[in-house]
Amino acid sequence: MRSRTLIAVSTLLVLAPAAALAHHGWSGYDASRVLSLSGVIREAGYEHPHGYVKLETPDKTWLVVLAPPSRMENRGLPRDMLKAGTKASVVGYPNRSDPGEMRAERITIGDKTTELR
Amino acid sequence: MHPPSGPAWLVWLETSAAAVAMRQWTWLYPAVEIVHIVGFVTLVGAALMFDARLLGRSRPLAVSALERHLLPWARFSLLLVVPTGALMFTAHATEMATNPALRLKLVLLVAAFLNAGIFHRWPFRTVGDWDTEIRAPMAARVNGVLSIGLWVGVIACGRLIAYF
Repeated sequence: MRSRTLIAVSTLLVLAPAAALAHHGWSGYDASRVLSLSGVIREAGYEHPHGYVKLETPDKTWLVVLAPPSRMENRGLPRDMLKAGTKASVVGYPNRSDPGEMRAERITIGDKTTELR
Repeated sequence: MHPPSGPAWLVWLETSAAAVAMRQWTWLYPAVEIVHIVGFVTLVGAALMFDARLLGRSRPLAVSALERHLLPWARFSLLLVVPTGALMFTAHATEMATNPALRLKLVLLVAAFLNAGIFHRWPFRTVGDWDTEIRAPMAARVNGVLSIGLWVGVIACGRLIAYF
């Protein structure tokens, strides 16, 4: 019994710090730095596990990570709204390790804002 | 998301029709995930319940009878987990191939199967001597402890693939 507990606990201890390096979970993004970006969609993917757009802003082109396609569809952001050439604004947080990537909390296209979390 | 780059076979996998369907069909990816989960719940559930018996729980239950009940379910579950796992790998093959959590998961998986094989090859041969009410031999109990640690590790690494 004691060795079982020991193995379970040590497994958790070994793996727990991994969560801090998270790439896809929200914890991989720095929520203390809110980014508001506006630009033009240059490329879009309505894909699993998360959709994305490449958003060209005056500053640079960001890889903006969105939500799973099923969620975006349910919330009224169908595939054809994310077309190259469309203007979009996003509010979100920068990736902690990849300076070109951000995860969007919400996206506005025209006058339609979609919450992505 | 990133254009696929890497060894040719990974790029081929990631650009295959199955991979495109996994990424783009709205409900395929979650459906595959669900089947994968049902599969590993059966597999790891069977393993952990058997390990609990080896470590002395429910001693009136015959170890041999429990093995006859659980092993076919564990084998059957491989038909669910292996193809669905392969599909999820295919969807992002070039990224997956370098994912440290997936690599560790596969190593632990091989170790878990080796551990089960060793148990069947050696301690389990003498199960007639300790089938009910008797403490399992030390070797069997070590297999049980290793099995719990390895399978919990496999699940933890599987979940963490998405976070690397």
